[in-house]
Amino acid sequence: MSLVRCLLLAGSALVASPFLLAQSLSMNLPARVAAGSAFSVPTSGSGPGTLTIVGPGQALRRNVQLGSAVALAAGVLYNAGEYVAILSDGSDSQIGLFEVTAAQQPSTLSFLAEPSRLPVDLQNGISGTVYLFDVYHNLIVSPMPVSFDLSASSGPSQTRTVTTRYGVGWTRMNSAPKEGSAHFVAHAGDVSSTRVIDEVPGDPCNLSMTATPDGVKAKLQTAPVRDCSGNPVPDGTVVTFTASYNGMQSTVDVPLKKDIAQVEMPVPHGATISVASGVVAGNQIRWSGQ
Amino acid sequence: MRGAVLAIGIGIVTVVLVAIGTIWPIPSAIYFAGSGNGNVLRAPSAPEDAIQNLGIRIRLHQLPAAYNSLANKAEFTESDFDQDVTGFYTSLRTQATLESVDAQPLHQSDDQADMRVRFHWITVLGPYDDTRDIQVVRNGNRWQVDWPLVRRPSVPAQVIPVNYLRWDVIYSGSTDEWGSQNVAGPNVRIVDMRPVNRAEGVYVLGELLNNDVVPAWVDVRATLVGKDGNILGREDSFDMISHRLLPKQVTPFRIHFPNVDLSQVASIRMHPESILISASADPVVEILNQKYNVQPIASLTGQLSDQSGQTVNFAHVLSTFYDSNGNVVWVSDRYIGRALLPQSPVDFTVAVPEDLARKISSERTIVATYSPKGVEL
Amino acid sequence: MKLPLKSYDTNQQLFFAYHYLHDWWNPWNVKWFTGFSQTTYPPLPQQWTAILAHIVGLQYAYMLVQFVAILLLAVGMYRFAAIWVNERAASFASLAVVLLGSESFLIYNAGQLATTWEAALYVLALPYLYEWLRYGGWRPFVKAVVLFAATCSAHDVIIIFGTAFFTFPLIALAIMEREQGEEKTTGGAVVARAVAVAIIAAAAIAIVLLPYWIDLFRYPVTQTPIPHASRANYLLTPFWGTNYFLIPWGALMLALPFIVWRGAHVRRLVPLMLGFWACFLVGLGGTTPVALWLLHRAFYVLTFERVAYWAELLSLPILGLLCSELVARFRMKAVVPLVVLAAITCGLPIAWANYQPTNSINLDVGPVAEWLNRGGHDNYRYFTLGFGNNISRLSIETNANTVDGEWYSDRRLPELMKYGGGSLDNSKYFVPGGLDALRAILHHADRYGLKWVFVHDPWYDPLLHFAGWRQVDQLEYGAIQVWSKEAVPPAHPMVFGVKPPAWQGIMWGILPVGSSILAFLLVFIPDKRRQIGASEDVGATDETIVPERMAS
Repeated sequence: MSLVRCLLLAGSALVASPFLLAQSLSMNLPARVAAGSAFSVPTSGSGPGTLTIVGPGQALRRNVQLGSAVALAAGVLYNAGEYVAILSDGSDSQIGLFEVTAAQQPSTLSFLAEPSRLPVDLQNGISGTVYLFDVYHNLIVSPMPVSFDLSASSGPSQTRTVTTRYGVGWTRMNSAPKEGSAHFVAHAGDVSSTRVIDEVPGDPCNLSMTATPDGVKAKLQTAPVRDCSGNPVPDGTVVTFTASYNGMQSTVDVPLKKDIAQVEMPVPHGATISVASGVVAGNQIRWSGQ
Repeated sequence: MRGAVLAIGIGIVTVVLVAIGTIWPIPSAIYFAGSGNGNVLRAPSAPEDAIQNLGIRIRLHQLPAAYNSLANKAEFTESDFDQDVTGFYTSLRTQATLESVDAQPLHQSDDQADMRVRFHWITVLGPYDDTRDIQVVRNGNRWQVDWPLVRRPSVPAQVIPVNYLRWDVIYSGSTDEWGSQNVAGPNVRIVDMRPVNRAEGVYVLGELLNNDVVPAWVDVRATLVGKDGNILGREDSFDMISHRLLPKQVTPFRIHFPNVDLSQVASIRMHPESILISASADPVVEILNQKYNVQPIASLTGQLSDQSGQTVNFAHVLSTFYDSNGNVVWVSDRYIGRALLPQSPVDFTVAVPEDLARKISSERTIVATYSPKGVEL
Repeated sequence: MKLPLKSYDTNQQLFFAYHYLHDWWNPWNVKWFTGFSQTTYPPLPQQWTAILAHIVGLQYAYMLVQFVAILLLAVGMYRFAAIWVNERAASFASLAVVLLGSESFLIYNAGQLATTWEAALYVLALPYLYEWLRYGGWRPFVKAVVLFAATCSAHDVIIIFGTAFFTFPLIALAIMEREQGEEKTTGGAVVARAVAVAIIAAAAIAIVLLPYWIDLFRYPVTQTPIPHASRANYLLTPFWGTNYFLIPWGALMLALPFIVWRGAHVRRLVPLMLGFWACFLVGLGGTTPVALWLLHRAFYVLTFERVAYWAELLSLPILGLLCSELVARFRMKAVVPLVVLAAITCGLPIAWANYQPTNSINLDVGPVAEWLNRGGHDNYRYFTLGFGNNISRLSIETNANTVDGEWYSDRRLPELMKYGGGSLDNSKYFVPGGLDALRAILHHADRYGLKWVFVHDPWYDPLLHFAGWRQVDQLEYGAIQVWSKEAVPPAHPMVFGVKPPAWQGIMWGILPVGSSILAFLLVFIPDKRRQIGASEDVGATDETIVPERMAS
């Protein structure tokens, strides 16, 4: 018996102690009922009495005819937890405990998917956690199967099935090698929940540029910038061009637009031009003006 | 008779005291009269007086009087002069207050003097100096300033195509179910960090990378932990960082802990902060002709050139200086006084502490910008 | 009707009164500067405002208290002028004080409720002081002492810095006329009485304002002086000359030569004229070096519009004489221009307040207060930029606390003490100190739980942007921008300085108001009837008696 049950029983016994000596009353409580389900409580004795039921967030009182069964309709008791029932005929009383458990049919699930955005091709980079609830928002603590399905816009989808423990099920997934939005779906019973994971390109790979004369300036332009899996690096990613000459240098941070970064900058002959993005360096060009 | 003497005496003494207070104003009077060198106009019997008188008039925003005092006012209009002094577009200069003027003679003859004049401005972003070489000429027995007008930059008529690249962020609403997905914050990373001990205290220098594909608003906080486990200080980078970082952009940062010695520090906890923001990829600013000078004053000079079609009203240059091993040895900055117009280079100078000058082998410079919404050309 | 509410310091007075209204016994106010003690500001007018606010509301209570100060001043001026000139001239002086330019300036422009109250109580005390000096007796002595204590409860400046201008002429007059009348005295007795009243009054003041003195001695004025334009040279800065000289003096300037001339020619008026002249010179602020020579460091603490006000008060007996003579001699030909000049003098500061409003920012701070009061925003501190004196009104309406404030004497935040700026809100007007303070406080936002800055002046936007703040909301159709800093920890209670203990709060809640009530009660004790005013007709000079004037 749990500590909570012991305390409830002891407390109830204390409340009902004036009546405990008389034992003519009795009731037959079920040990466990599902939240929201109908059930009845057979009683013994005679004459009118009252049945009081107290539980988490709920309390009810019924006038009953002792000796007959007290019917509790569906949906009357819906919060999962320990309940205390007290049957009384005015001079005598009987107390008992029973448990209301969450319904076994999941109605809603809360799905936490992290992160919402991650680089492609990352092992165990995506985590999904599910909490299962019944129709009355009771956490279903009994083990339940939950399946996770991660389907990227390209490539095969990944599926994992886990069993919940104490109402929680979780898993880890790999990001796909190709960029795009992946749908991360959690299923339990008839319910499911979907999250969108952005699988984004990683660091630029093989960054390279060309330089062509453009009047008095040099037109510097990268090749389409891609990551090591061949995904185009998103527009807006900053590429830094640096021209070094005679102890001086010129730099410019240029955002990628349509996969390439380009800029016109004055570059003297003999200058060394380099390109980089973040911590990734690209090629170097010795500028001869041609 | 005694009454008349007393009354007249009181009148005379009052006039004398007012005259003393006006000819030799007390400090508070000088402060309100324009601060700095005071605003007591002197007879321009020397080149320095002419410069100071001009400075006083600019300080008191008496620009018509300042214009009329110039020797070469026929060469330009009063409006040209106003715009040269106060800035052509919304910029640090338009919001600046002239605190003082220091004139240093370079060459002087009976009728002409060349002066190097340092205008010391106070702005919301701190003080900054503007140095100009000014000629002062003699007209009769008075000296007048020959103002070296910087004309309004002329931007050639052109069309600059801009395909607006920007990010917008929609966060989940407060009424969404618990556990609903929200956009993750940007992934940022400190790629370099080094504490430096100086007389003013400990500086934590470093560089921060936006390692994500979305723009980030960043800040770096640092906590110094003493050898006994006590917190010695907790500071942030304030304006010594570019707070807006585009994907794969790197910013230097510098965090200052005054009154702390590095020998007291057992460890440093770094706390990079980042949040996802709506941002535009523009403007693009080129940093041209960067040259590190050890002599005569350790500094980095260069030019900023706005490659976008929009005016950049406020620009902040941040430079990272490295030693020959590639370690960060200093981070320095400079706000630019004038707005950056498209394709119109503006000079800048970033100062470097003299004691570090010889250690510096290379540098890296970025520009942070700000343009208020709704500012028109 | 509510013109006085637009004056510069009104909102600050209301803010103090609001605190007394809600927490009479605890002078520690956490809404400004992370917490400050209101025992650093003599409380009488604010406490009366708080008392009356229970009946008529805060704003009308303020107006009512200001109105009472004017009435008291008129009574006090009549009695004070009657020492120097005849009753008819004193009546004119009493009338003139209501229309005085400085009075109007202080009420409608500066909003210095405390200054008008202290002046009113002080001039009420002076006739009792003179009677005591001249004749002795317990009644004038007690009344003078209690009124001096009540004066200090309203404000201490006139007692500390103005006493020389007002009381030395009275002592001189008492000595000069020691042999006149039936009750003769000696010079030594006059001096002894002056010393006695000074000692007892000082003791009374020390007791009544004990928490104030404790705070002052614990924290003498150490912060970098804050510039005030009344310390400018009015000739070098004509705008401030207009604001602090032409406007407050008005047509009274025309009478200055007469005041000096007549004051120099009538023997018993000479001390008054000299007191006026000295006060006039000091009241010119930085226009002459006199104030700096006399006051030294105190020069940078005192503001001089109130000294000019004292000078005008000192001039009124002789001005009353002028008016009296003009009306007697020219009747309606004098009355009409005098009324016009008086009206202009009184109206000029009101017009000036509208033409060059000190509180030019017509801003509804209600939306800002609502924003701060919802969603847990008040878990952090805030400050404003470009709100003018609306920051006091905002402080009244919001639950949130600010690191800024308008009462500089008890701000202990190192960032605010070090640089010599005024409030952060108008830091751009204090170059460079104000801007240095602004940068310093922004730098230490984490330390103070400072997360919100409300900006009504885009001038500050570049600093906020480059310092790492972000615009997160806008109010009043975009007129007010809300800037925020990320990852700032919630504000926690901070105490810079020392909280006054409970016993000081009790003293503060009883003695200042108690002293004023006692003073009003004592005034009703009948005086011994004697002629204390001008026994000679000072309408004429000592050297030339003009029969027509005698006849009038």
